[in-house]
Amino acid sequence: MKHIKFNKNASQKIYNDYLRRIERTTKTLPKIDRNEILMEFNSHIYEGTINTETTNEVDNLLAVLDKLGIPEEVLKPLVADKKLQQATKTFNPIHLIQALALNITNGISYVIFSLLYLFIFSGIFLIIAKIFNSNVGMYYRGDEFRVLGLIKNIEHSELKEVLGNWFIPAMLIAIIALYMITTLVLKLKRFINHKN
Amino acid sequence: MNEIFIKKWKSQVKKGTLAFIVLNVLKNNEFYGYELIEKIRKHTEIEIAEGTLYPLMNRLKKENLVSSKWVEQSSGIPRKYYLLTDTGSNTLNEMREYWKNLEKSIKNIIK
Repeated sequence: MKHIKFNKNASQKIYNDYLRRIERTTKTLPKIDRNEILMEFNSHIYEGTINTETTNEVDNLLAVLDKLGIPEEVLKPLVADKKLQQATKTFNPIHLIQALALNITNGISYVIFSLLYLFIFSGIFLIIAKIFNSNVGMYYRGDEFRVLGLIKNIEHSELKEVLGNWFIPAMLIAIIALYMITTLVLKLKRFINHKN
Repeated sequence: MNEIFIKKWKSQVKKGTLAFIVLNVLKNNEFYGYELIEKIRKHTEIEIAEGTLYPLMNRLKKENLVSSKWVEQSSGIPRKYYLLTDTGSNTLNEMREYWKNLEKSIKNIIK
């Protein structure tokens, strides 16, 4: 992208700083989206600074940027939107977390989705825990499900571990299935929102 | 008079009609962002936080109401032009119809 050249150091600095803030605000987005946003704002600043009557370059640039708004505030809905688009397209957990964090203000349903994902990630935690402590497992008392996790003093309880060596593979399959289903439902929700 | 209430109400009305205004301005025209804002200001005396136009344009694009293209300039800094798609054009007609009815109802109510 071609940057705008200013005559005064002060205006150049203000301009560079503004672009940096745009880049920082959009840093979780794919490169192509970041570039598009940066180029469009750059174009806006350029058109704004040449379409003016005032002669003071610094005042002029400040007026343009002031009207354009604070990058962090102005870009928030744009970043949140694009992030969610990307996250449901790629199934990438990092994108999902970022998108949910950005969209958390958009309503209670995202809180529910966040809790679902948290539940899924706690499953991963259990798998890792199982590697270090063989007492982690799925426990039944008689025919009744009791605990998914760690039991202390296992000898004194009537609990019985049912999965044995199958704990890790069974948990993995359950987690992957839940993850896919939750993400598909999230996708469906977006599709329905889109239609409305 | 409750000034805070009026201020909030005005901002809601503006927010609710901005997409309609943008689509109207783009009817039979292609404009780049800065120009689009200028036109809106000239026609409507609505002062919008200029930056908010871009998230809106992204949404309209996602809804397939507008499309955009980059056009190189001699300055080396290209402009991104927006234009209505066919869907956008049809959608706008539907919106205008709705608006006319709304206008009629409001007129009846405030006389």
